[in-house]
Amino acid sequence: MKAFQQNLEKLEAADTQVLGVSMDSTFSNAAWAKDMGVNFPILSDWGGDVTKQFGIYNPGYKAARRTTFLIDKDGKIVEIKVDREAVDPTAIVTSCERRKLKG
Amino acid sequence: MRRTMAVLFLWMVALAPTLLWAQADQKPAQPAPPEPAFKVGDTAPDFTMYDQNRQQVKLSSFRGKKNVALAFVVFAFTGG
Repeated sequence: MKAFQQNLEKLEAADTQVLGVSMDSTFSNAAWAKDMGVNFPILSDWGGDVTKQFGIYNPGYKAARRTTFLIDKDGKIVEIKVDREAVDPTAIVTSCERRKLKG
Repeated sequence: MRRTMAVLFLWMVALAPTLLWAQADQKPAQPAPPEPAFKVGDTAPDFTMYDQNRQQVKLSSFRGKKNVALAFVVFAFTGG
């Protein structure tokens, strides 16, 4: 998440909204966001319905698999990154900048 | 007697790798990680969730305006 915060200006310049999702409570997420210095929304998927709908609920950990979906302005999924690749936002930044150039 | 011992010893040496291999094989199998239910090109399902400031955020509210980088994390207060 910190890596997304560090790239927030670039992402915003490329018309991209960052939304974090965790299965923790809003209170927990508020404390975490403050701790990390993150100022984009961290959404609470309490109960895991959205995580399950996206297919990435890991019953072994009772939590989500680290996954980033990039959704374009038409609501279509254009990039999916999992695990280590999901932590590093570089590919997402590049993809958003390319989309911006194409208009 | 010495010969028997030597033969036994050789057997043990010969079998050791097999035993180690069998032990390694007994590790409990990790279940496969869940695979995303969508692929590139699919339309993302809409959702509404609360952010850390208790404001509702609806995915479709960004439609036609912004791309959305939707980052699922494992737990709050973990790295990444």
